[in-house]
Amino acid sequence: MRADRPRIALIALTVIGVGLASYLTYVHYAGLNNLLCGKGGGTCAKVQSSQYSKLAGVPVALIGLIGYIVILCSLLVRQDDRTRFATSAFTLGGFGFSAYLTYREVFSLEQICEWCVGSAVLMTILMVLSVWRYLRGDAPAASLDAPAQPAEQPAAVGSSY
Amino acid sequence: MTPVGSDEEDLTRRERREQARSNRKAAEQAAAAAASRRRRMTQLAGAVAIVVVAIVAILIATGGGKSKPPTPGSPAAKNTPPEVQKEIGGIPQNGNTLGSPAAPVTLVYFGDLQCPICKEFTLGALPGVIEKWVKPGKLKIEYRNLETATREPETFRTQQTAALAAGAQHKMWDYLEIFYRQQGAEGSGYVNEAFLQGIAQQVPGLNLSKWASDRSNKAYESQLEKDRESASNEGFNGTPSFLLGKNGALNKLEGSEYGSLTSSTGFDTSIEKALKS
Repeated sequence: MRADRPRIALIALTVIGVGLASYLTYVHYAGLNNLLCGKGGGTCAKVQSSQYSKLAGVPVALIGLIGYIVILCSLLVRQDDRTRFATSAFTLGGFGFSAYLTYREVFSLEQICEWCVGSAVLMTILMVLSVWRYLRGDAPAASLDAPAQPAEQPAAVGSSY
Repeated sequence: MTPVGSDEEDLTRRERREQARSNRKAAEQAAAAAASRRRRMTQLAGAVAIVVVAIVAILIATGGGKSKPPTPGSPAAKNTPPEVQKEIGGIPQNGNTLGSPAAPVTLVYFGDLQCPICKEFTLGALPGVIEKWVKPGKLKIEYRNLETATREPETFRTQQTAALAAGAQHKMWDYLEIFYRQQGAEGSGYVNEAFLQGIAQQVPGLNLSKWASDRSNKAYESQLEKDRESASNEGFNGTPSFLLGKNGALNKLEGSEYGSLTSSTGFDTSIEKALKS
């Protein structure tokens, strides 16, 4: 057994993302206009009340929250190659969506919301970390010990995390 | 001597076999690792391709903010005034207020004419509120100006002043309702002099030359500043925001109270409560 530090870091970052997206979703549905944000809250309120704050009628904050929860679920289940790929795929999707929203902020609205930037940075770190973790795989670490105990290798793949 | 030499020879042969086996195993492992890496890279490339296609589709679907409001005289523009008349025709207007001055309850609506969420409210919950409470004389609605979606302060000042100037002829709500119905895509720069004139031309009975001269009235700039200050005092920095109260005692109406901007049910409950207070 060895500690999967990238996984722990991913879980911690995703939990922060869930908190951040929960706040923005709450603000959206509660209609709170005193959104905590730089420049007196004006820019965040503009972004949050813009036409791009919804996608097909669904608030993007809620889409983000669902995304973070899905990523968290993929990290909390028993880990194997498929779940590590799933985490990478979900974070790649989240990164792409964050890139789209950042594009809208910068080029369509010309307003920056600190909360959205925070989420975009978080999603970028999650994507880089999860893709690196998936590409690294489990084989190199396991194969170092493998020649002495070849029979234990398959079990180690599934149970080391 | 010979047995010893044979043993050494056997050992060397065994060692060579071991070595070869070990090399073969290492090569197999290296090949397996390379194949695994290739497989992972291919899978990730597939995921990236799907994400790119999805984002491009979203970009196309949400447009580049290029959709234009209906031009004056177009069928869409022709339908707007009758719709507005059906909603607010016959209701007394006074400056920025819609409804009987004697109405006991007041709803203050902070809005920005370019704000799409305000449009959502104006076309969603507002008609129901007007029908149920304003028409029977129980509620009046006061529109206050708060810049949110409009990027340029100068554009904000010009468009909101255009609406306030219609208020000098008791037609500000006609102007607001028509503007929201013909609102263009955010950030597309659709609000220009022709657009503002086009809205004014659609307001039934508006004296255009008086409206044009009223627009330069400095009192409206003071009105905008007063509205901004009142929003700031309430801690509002988004639109739409609301105040509700009876006989001038106004309180913040939070989103958690009215619930939805597209249905009047939550507003009905809050207004009923204010009436009974």
